[in-house]
Amino acid sequence: MKHPGEIDLALLAGGEVGRVRRFSLERHLRACSECGEKVTQLQALRAEVADFEPADLNWTLLAAEMRANIRLGLEAGACVRSAGIARGWNPRLTLAFASLLLIVGASFLLRDSRLQPASPVHAVTQSAAPVLESSGAGIEFRSGSGSMMLLNRPGVVASQTVSAGGEIRARYVDGDTGAVTINNVSLE
Amino acid sequence: MSLWNKLFGLSIASGLLLTPVPLAAQDTVLDPASSVKIDLPADSPLTLISTSMGESRATARGGAIVLDLHMALTLRNGGFKHVRGVTLLITAQEFAPGGKGSVARPSIDVPPGQNFSLPVDIRLVRPVQQTGGPLVRVQLDGVLFDDLSFYGPNKLNSQRAMTFWEVEAQRDRAYFKQALQARGENGLRQEILASLARQADRPQLDVSVSRNGRAVGAAVPATEHMAQFAFLNLPNTPVKPVEGWAAISGNEARSPRVEVINQSGKPVRYVEIGWLVKDKQGQEYAAGSVPASEPAMVLPAGHGASLLQDTALKFSRAGRPIEIESMTGFVSQVEFADGHVWVPSRQDLNASPLLRILAPSPEEQRLADIYSKKGLTALTTELSRY
Repeated sequence: MKHPGEIDLALLAGGEVGRVRRFSLERHLRACSECGEKVTQLQALRAEVADFEPADLNWTLLAAEMRANIRLGLEAGACVRSAGIARGWNPRLTLAFASLLLIVGASFLLRDSRLQPASPVHAVTQSAAPVLESSGAGIEFRSGSGSMMLLNRPGVVASQTVSAGGEIRARYVDGDTGAVTINNVSLE
Repeated sequence: MSLWNKLFGLSIASGLLLTPVPLAAQDTVLDPASSVKIDLPADSPLTLISTSMGESRATARGGAIVLDLHMALTLRNGGFKHVRGVTLLITAQEFAPGGKGSVARPSIDVPPGQNFSLPVDIRLVRPVQQTGGPLVRVQLDGVLFDDLSFYGPNKLNSQRAMTFWEVEAQRDRAYFKQALQARGENGLRQEILASLARQADRPQLDVSVSRNGRAVGAAVPATEHMAQFAFLNLPNTPVKPVEGWAAISGNEARSPRVEVINQSGKPVRYVEIGWLVKDKQGQEYAAGSVPASEPAMVLPAGHGASLLQDTALKFSRAGRPIEIESMTGFVSQVEFADGHVWVPSRQDLNASPLLRILAPSPEEQRLADIYSKKGLTALTTELSRY
């Protein structure tokens, strides 16, 4: 008997598989007590984890870090997509790539510079709405794929104030000089 | 370009595409001369003495470049008056078009001829692109002197902000001096300890702000409703809030609007409404403020005006959304046409929940920091300086 993978069983335990896949998995479980046991364990673990809350976890910092990583990951992904292609000899892939090169080459030779479209970066910048966000690390302004963040000094707790006019201020006392610094970021 | 040149270029480009690109982060120490441009006007009362770039670095990560700028500017007061506050305008148009920053240092007392420093810590992220020119531009936006006179282009309305901080500073210095005179060192110690306790206990929200650009035809969330402001009417307030609303949906508040009446005998040119929100558990937070929308507003005595802002604010705490149950507004700042600024008195704050909920003034924060780091003697010496 061929058993489904761990990932499929975990998704089933969480109720996150589509109808067709669920039907085939449930049919398998009716005949396989081993997989049924695994699903039961996963469901119990899931219920346990749902109630678990780590102490002193800075959700804001975590969210900011994840956002930054996703953004950088998308950028990096765009660069490395071509690296996987060169890994091994695959005649069909080579043919497809040669055709693609031919099309790119033709468009390169025939292009009219006056009709050159905006770069993808600019397209993203224009479509995403600028947003200001405060966190323990500082105040960040994001616009498309670019961002500017005025940082709080490490280790200080800044008082933040927000204006509905479109600005955020963070104020802290500098540990070395004892002077107050107020960072302010605003939407234009 | 000839056909052969284009074919050669194409083959090089294809070769680059097929070459696996190492993605390890590459650190580069920044050159201050090419990365940052600092502009002070020729007639500025401040002169730039030095710029330290500290641990500033540029790091390439994948297709993005991350710049960590940790600058310290040393400036000299070359004028004839004591400097009470400085604001620098920070722009990085290639990284963040449509946004601008500023770094201000209020509550200082720099005599003529003396140096002082100002930190500028920025992180910039953008896709890698070939560019020329400086990455960050630092300009002087304003200097406030001890007689409340002002110098600078004031593009950020820093004159108003710094005057407001200075008026608050005078109020709070007077309050702590009075505590010292009336109740001695023990009285002052009690007041400062109470301030430190409030600062430690004050709940703080993380907020995101965006222009209210809901697309035409976009669905309004089913939970959205118009919520009315309740108002704290402080005694002696020159402007009275009459009524106000904002659209609320979960942890988002949009498009606040507040109607006010000038009940003083003088024309007013700026009003700001402080904004408190209460969550479903009854915890109250200082959410922000609703400023006058018209930069050139003049509100004659006895007349009314609307303060409205087309922005959306989302509130969270420790990464979790704060569900808004109710809102309270109060007049937090008024600027008269003659330049005088009104702020709530210390008695007004003491007699309301505001002292507990609002952040202390920059000066109160600084005085409390002196006490906690250097003790009571240093604090009394500081209070006797001016």
